[in-house]
Amino acid sequence: MAYTPKTNFPILTKRIPTRPWGDERQRHIVRYDEYVETGGYVGLRKALSMAPGDVTEVVKEAQLRGRGGAGFPAGLKWTFLPKIEDVNSPGPRYLAVNADESEPGTFKDRLLMDFDPHLMLEGIAICCYACRIDKAYIYIRGEYHHQAQVVEEALLEAYHHGVFGGAGLMNGSDTATGAPWKVECYLHRGAGAYICGEETALLESLEGKRGWPRVKPPFPAVQGLFGKPTIINNVETLAHLPSIIENGVEWFTAQGTESTIGGPPSYGTKLMGLSGHVNRPGVYECDLGIPLRTFVEEYGAGMRGGKKFKGAIAGGISTGVLGPDQYEAELDFDIGRKYNVLGLGTACPTIFDEETDMVAVARNISRFFKHESCGQCTPCREGSGWLFQLLSRIESGEARTKDLDLALEIATGMGAMPGTTICGLADGNNWAIRTIMNKYWGEFEARVQPTFVPVTMSVGAAANG
Amino acid sequence: MAWVAKPSATEQIERRDEPYLTQEMCDQLSRDILPRYETKMGALLPTLHMVQHAHGWIAAQALEEIADFLDLAPAEVLDSASFYEEYWLKPKGKHLIAVCRSIACEICSHAEVTEACRKRLNIGVGETTEDGKFTLIELECIGACGGAPAALVDETLHENVTPQRIVELIDQARDHDAL
Repeated sequence: MAYTPKTNFPILTKRIPTRPWGDERQRHIVRYDEYVETGGYVGLRKALSMAPGDVTEVVKEAQLRGRGGAGFPAGLKWTFLPKIEDVNSPGPRYLAVNADESEPGTFKDRLLMDFDPHLMLEGIAICCYACRIDKAYIYIRGEYHHQAQVVEEALLEAYHHGVFGGAGLMNGSDTATGAPWKVECYLHRGAGAYICGEETALLESLEGKRGWPRVKPPFPAVQGLFGKPTIINNVETLAHLPSIIENGVEWFTAQGTESTIGGPPSYGTKLMGLSGHVNRPGVYECDLGIPLRTFVEEYGAGMRGGKKFKGAIAGGISTGVLGPDQYEAELDFDIGRKYNVLGLGTACPTIFDEETDMVAVARNISRFFKHESCGQCTPCREGSGWLFQLLSRIESGEARTKDLDLALEIATGMGAMPGTTICGLADGNNWAIRTIMNKYWGEFEARVQPTFVPVTMSVGAAANG
Repeated sequence: MAWVAKPSATEQIERRDEPYLTQEMCDQLSRDILPRYETKMGALLPTLHMVQHAHGWIAAQALEEIADFLDLAPAEVLDSASFYEEYWLKPKGKHLIAVCRSIACEICSHAEVTEACRKRLNIGVGETTEDGKFTLIELECIGACGGAPAALVDETLHENVTPQRIVELIDQARDHDAL
């Protein structure tokens, strides 16, 4: 069945020329003036005319699912914050914006921060208003030097024009207590640690500590940054807010797709980053539910060198791989249950052609997780190291058949969530290696030497005697 | 690996009279950064970034100065600083060449890029040239999978890097210094 996109206009990439709507050579940093001229901050003004609870309600009804990987409904997350009326002494409440995009394959948030930082800032302002948040921190990864600079400049503009700060648009906006209230927004640079993309590790890092994930509960919405109620949202999730508030729930739910297996729906468009062996890698905005084949062939201009599709990482390496027979997989939040991968992740597929050595892929992925394991939980710290050693051995041809079983056993057993590790890093490692080994077992088997099992038995006269 | 303990306690700290964390930096931090965070420790990462930006690396003495400034134990500063890969607790070259080695870059032949660097600089990955000009490292994902293979030269990202291109970039940096 041919795929027809539901959304024929760009939303997140409205000001960032992207195929099929625009010419990528015309991309430039959108400053405040241009942003406002092209309809920016309309969503925020509309939000400010509504009651904060109503804004949350709209986001909840739109069923906007988090774009950072887990797909948790954003509006629902917001409702976990303690009600402002219930708090005896209303201390600060925080928003941590997760811009620590570091999973191999994922580079979608960079597009927004490279060219249209105000879209993210408007989303932050709307979220802060809806959840009555006092301070927002944008946690941007250390390697994003240019992006940090762009966002910093945009923040200055936003302060200057009263989006944030003492002269803020939101300054003195109604609060339950009538007390003065303003929103501050700061940029906080990380320093090269993948684990800080995990929400509680991100909070630890904001507090100046090493990025070790926290044991939950208490959940951040109750006790987060500096022990105060905290919301953590991905950049792209927040960037969706202005258009949802401006255009309403029905407009948003007309995009994307319903679940085909009776799960929660995948509404809206998504920034999808395409990488690997394709002709035109890059970030594109598509409806959720686009089949992988369509995405690769129409947006990515097909496989590089006309080679055959061998497999793809679903979206960030922790989600696992889609095998050669799963080229038709629809990229929506059902993908995990339907195609035996961890989930949609960040919807940034890395494509492998027929010549790719999947054993090397597995070794590369296990090295990443070994390198990025924070070392807090034993199964992950030790397991990821062993797994890397085993896979390196298999790759070099020195391994035996039993090493395959051992590798699979470690991959299956280490950090199987929930319960054996604090965060999901080991689980990501587990899914990635397990799906690769299971879906390309023959390739692994061909690399190992048969295990020689010495059997001693007595024969002849000795046996009888 | 972030969690490998370093034998810091037994190391002799090299000292100099001039502070790494200057009064000017302290003033700027007190004015702009400290008010942003509820605790003083919150300003630790920005402070480390600032010191590293000024000196290229963070000396042990600087860690003590930072601890002093933020009312922390030196061990707490070391604890955080040693966790994050981007902080250099040993001197690095004036220019940092970081080639991405994660999955998208590996399958788009990052190895050729690294090899070209090694040949040009005559050093291995993780080493610094004798003149202290260049340090070559390989990093995990730098968020440029669409432009694989990618490399960071100092703070600038370069995408779709070829072996020829990386050599050009190295030469440019060297020529720029010579001016």
